[in-house]
Amino acid sequence: MKPLKSANELQALHKNLSRQPGQKVAIRVCSTGCRALGALDVCDALEAEISRRGLSDSAAVIRAGCHGLCAGAVAVVIDPKDIFYQNVTPDDAPEIVETTVVGGKVVQRLCCSAGRRKTSLRRDVPFYKHQRRLLLRNCGVLDPRSLEDAIAYGAYLTAAAAISNKSPEDVIAEITASGLRGRGGAGFPTGRKWQFARASAGEPKYIICNADEGDPGAFMDRALLEGDPHLIVEGMLIGAYAIGAARGFIYVRAEYPIAIEHTTLALDEVRRAGLLGRDILGTGFDFDIEIRKGAGAFVCGEETALIASIEGARGMPRPRPPFPAVRGLFSKPTNINNVETWANVPRIIEMGSAEYAKIGTDGSKGTKIFALAGKVNNTGLVEVPMGATLRQIIFDIGGGIPGGRKFKAAQIGGPSGGCVPAQYLDRPIDYDSVQEIGAIMGSGGLIVMDEATCMVDIARFFTDFVQKESCGKCVPCRIGTKRMLEILTRITNGQGEAADIDRLIRLGEMIKQTSLCGLGQTAPNPVLSTIRYFRDEYEAHIVEKRCPANVCEGLITTTCSSACPAHVNVPEYVGCIAEGRYADALKVIHRRNPLASVCGRACHHPCELFCRRGDLDLPVAIRHLKRFVTDRVKDVGTPLQWPGRREGRVAVIGSGPAGLTAGYFLALMGREVTVFEALDAPGGMLLVGIPKYRLPPEAIRRDIEYIRQAGVEIVTGRRIESIQELRDEGFDAIFIAAGAHGSGRLGIPGEEMAGVRDALGFLREVCLGRLDKLTGRVVVIGGGNAAMDSARAALRLGADSVTVLYRRTAEEMPALREEIDQAVLEGVDMRFLVAPVAVEGDRRVRAVRCVEMALGEADESGRRRPIPKPDSEVVIDADHVIVAIGQYPELEFTASDARVAVANGRISVDPVTLRSSGDVFAGGDAVTGPATIVEAIAAGQRAAMAIDEFLGGSGELPPDAGFASRSKPDEEAAAAPRQPIRSLSPAGRKGSFGEVLKGYSAKAARTEARRCLRCDLE
Amino acid sequence: MKQPVESDTICPDMSKTPAAKTLPADPAQEPSAQEPSGQDIARFLSELEQQQLKPSRYADLIGILQQVQQQFGYLPAEAIRQVSRRTKVPLSRVYGVVSFYAQFYTEPRGRHTIRCCRGTACHVKGADRIVDTIRQLLGIDEGQTTPDKLFYLEAVACLGTCFLAPVMMIDNQYFGNLTPQRVQSVLDSYRTTES
Repeated sequence: MKPLKSANELQALHKNLSRQPGQKVAIRVCSTGCRALGALDVCDALEAEISRRGLSDSAAVIRAGCHGLCAGAVAVVIDPKDIFYQNVTPDDAPEIVETTVVGGKVVQRLCCSAGRRKTSLRRDVPFYKHQRRLLLRNCGVLDPRSLEDAIAYGAYLTAAAAISNKSPEDVIAEITASGLRGRGGAGFPTGRKWQFARASAGEPKYIICNADEGDPGAFMDRALLEGDPHLIVEGMLIGAYAIGAARGFIYVRAEYPIAIEHTTLALDEVRRAGLLGRDILGTGFDFDIEIRKGAGAFVCGEETALIASIEGARGMPRPRPPFPAVRGLFSKPTNINNVETWANVPRIIEMGSAEYAKIGTDGSKGTKIFALAGKVNNTGLVEVPMGATLRQIIFDIGGGIPGGRKFKAAQIGGPSGGCVPAQYLDRPIDYDSVQEIGAIMGSGGLIVMDEATCMVDIARFFTDFVQKESCGKCVPCRIGTKRMLEILTRITNGQGEAADIDRLIRLGEMIKQTSLCGLGQTAPNPVLSTIRYFRDEYEAHIVEKRCPANVCEGLITTTCSSACPAHVNVPEYVGCIAEGRYADALKVIHRRNPLASVCGRACHHPCELFCRRGDLDLPVAIRHLKRFVTDRVKDVGTPLQWPGRREGRVAVIGSGPAGLTAGYFLALMGREVTVFEALDAPGGMLLVGIPKYRLPPEAIRRDIEYIRQAGVEIVTGRRIESIQELRDEGFDAIFIAAGAHGSGRLGIPGEEMAGVRDALGFLREVCLGRLDKLTGRVVVIGGGNAAMDSARAALRLGADSVTVLYRRTAEEMPALREEIDQAVLEGVDMRFLVAPVAVEGDRRVRAVRCVEMALGEADESGRRRPIPKPDSEVVIDADHVIVAIGQYPELEFTASDARVAVANGRISVDPVTLRSSGDVFAGGDAVTGPATIVEAIAAGQRAAMAIDEFLGGSGELPPDAGFASRSKPDEEAAAAPRQPIRSLSPAGRKGSFGEVLKGYSAKAARTEARRCLRCDLE
Repeated sequence: MKQPVESDTICPDMSKTPAAKTLPADPAQEPSAQEPSGQDIARFLSELEQQQLKPSRYADLIGILQQVQQQFGYLPAEAIRQVSRRTKVPLSRVYGVVSFYAQFYTEPRGRHTIRCCRGTACHVKGADRIVDTIRQLLGIDEGQTTPDKLFYLEAVACLGTCFLAPVMMIDNQYFGNLTPQRVQSVLDSYRTTES
């Protein structure tokens, strides 16, 4: 390009160039971020195909910058139609050219989903729909290696106009009025910073672009420099003019080779075009920029350290004041801004400060780019107005959390930031609000964390990072972070001490107050913020020696076994199944869980939620495999038998999963156990709370038979009236596992009318076969598993219609996802956002009157609170109403006993030993409130260990390893997809309580078992 | 702290520095077959001086060291000494800079550099297992080279490709969405090509 002599020449060139693109089809391939997944091969393949078909005049491949949706790499946009394709490979090139370029049609399989449909248009993809791409406007559009392309899209026009027509003071006034704050982290007003540098005495002055994007998890600066380098150069040009700087530096990390390459190229071209150098555009203004590569030191992101690094020294910070604006690079006045800040400058001047200031919140103007990564579906670069909420960013744009896990926290601001918990999902995010909740905006790295992320481990991770990156100049940072790391490491190894949390807080506060630079002053933030919001996780590590997220290696075996409350050795039995040794597999399960048939059908399988295979495709179908062995192995086998005389008599109250399991293990440990059941048949809630289509009585009977064989005596039809009665019969210890059989009430008028019943009563009648027909319209109130069971049972009994009323939405329902899906599939009508206020009728129910609800801000758990809409009313006709809104233990029989502690209607116990006091232990729903089967089994297991120790035993469970071979299945066998499970057709389920799910065939089970990654062998 | 000096050349008085004045050689540093000779280094530094004079008017010690390292694969002791002499920055200070920054190496490294990302996103997605697998498979720790000189392993803060997490780079090639199994097959493929 010839050097441009004036702003008019630039303008003319722009006009000329912007006319040219015409109606040519432009295939814009992300060739920067997506390069890691073969974007250049895609470009080559497309180009080859275009030239092979002689289409070079009508179509062109543009090697553009980042499109933002990195999860869809390689991402391609085809203009002028704005078609967005994701996960493109070189093999797709012929079809894209044939169908889209030539045929003008869409290749469906490469499109993104928008809700249930697929969409071909970029602007309709949910990821883009909710963004405001002000800075990223041309990123992914223009060719970052071409100045002409940039000028065609208007690059440098704003700078040229500013330099030619505005005074430096005007430019600064404009930036000040826009309210722009530094995007590097601290959020200092940019206009003021410029003003200081301009006002400082000393020549020459320098400006620096800080592109030392060292925060792990941030990659917006990288994308800007790679995808639209001219935007940054233009911003610096304007800034240099305003401040009066003669020289600029771009200090960029050496880890970003493409950014360095594109920026170098851009500077060379711009210099040749006369937009940098002497007498720019004939205005008499001289300015040039050079690139400096970092050499791997995080602290160089701090401005005084960065200056030292450019000067060729160790990158160590120095105290401020004097600020760089007074005494900076080479002791001259220097202004440093971050890449994203510079990128804002041309936009502000272009649109005017007033227009710009309309975007954002009161204290934070404009947009912010977030690098969205971690446990989120749409990883990538997201630009939103300041004040967007985390829910918008993570769920609307980011597409939520993969693998059905729950959101736990968002880490904002990198090692200087903090973890923001679910309760703040609806808080508008800007500089000030983020600070209030213990994080910082930082550069905008946003790492999403789910249930499988351990917050103590995250705190340790960041502390390890800052400790390694501490430059060592000041003591608090150098030694303080080391001490914090030592404490955190021992906590994650299971050697934490009770005082450690307070030690961390004290140390953290001290480091914050006394460190020299921003690195040290913010280094404790990740620790302090995780303690603030996730103290219970720290305590679980320290007191219970347990990592709730199943991450910390010192505290877990494998994620699946650790996630299983009963700690069944999952890889071991899955390994046995893979080898075809089914009886051995069952034996492994029985070493920790006697209710194998029950859990193979009705367990909520947290093991699968944490299965590492799920991070690749889908988790191993652990529950189905368990059911397979219980179906396949006809002989239940003989439990381990206690060889000697039994000593110590234990009474267990309740024959639900907690009581049965405690009895089983105590029998294995040589105790004499009697389980007392008030009803005529054993099984507790398994028998009377879960309908047969989900858990057939044969499965329960089979497991109970096995437990009996271990030496447990079960007495049915006897309700225990007081604990003392058992002591009088000579029992040495008592385990209360009476469950939670009481039902919650609505507390609204008309509740007592005929036709209104509680879910537990209803399910009991159904399960025991006392109720076999139900006609008319059924309304179920509630959103838990009992509500789903009631609704599905009602349909089977012949109800004309079943409607579930829930005051929040499907997202917030506590019922298991698969139960909700099955209910909908079977024809249950879900009415969300309604809450009953009265039952109407004339002694017999006729309808339920409700108010409509709206969702407000997140509560403690991150679920959005339902708020009644004023003057909204819905009347839903009903012949039957089933109330499923909570269960509670019935503990009258404990009332008179001094050794049973009851709080909030539940028995309170030591969390580890489950001991209430003296000879009384308790577990299961009676302690926790309504929970899951496997949690009750775990309680029974732990109680058995504690009771055995109480009676003088060792409290040890039988060994559960050494059954499967120690070799991993070969990679080919492991590559199989998750094996589908057959089920009864929805039509076939009407009027039948036949089991819905069918089991695996032996072939399917072995294929499925080979999918296990055998993490236990690592 | 260093007092910065603004000067007109990147390496002030480079040409005038007498090459004869040598520092005492470190006896532990036996010149290996790979180690470049003093002349090689001197020649390269002179070339560098010629090229670099154009755009920059400022001392760029880090830039010089980066180019030397790119040329020789690492920073031999002799190169550090020569850079010090030519730039007139005291050797102690040059060494201070070399030892401060993570990306300067004073030892030769394996033919392929494995950069295993330990950024937040990778960590959350199980980077620990990836590094452990590489360590086991290669029998080396971070910062070490395999005995066959094929691989050098380093853990880096963040590669800025969080959407590929967990990710590693071998030389300039990215490998994303890693599992221990995939790591093994990637390393095997390098082994096979090389042997």
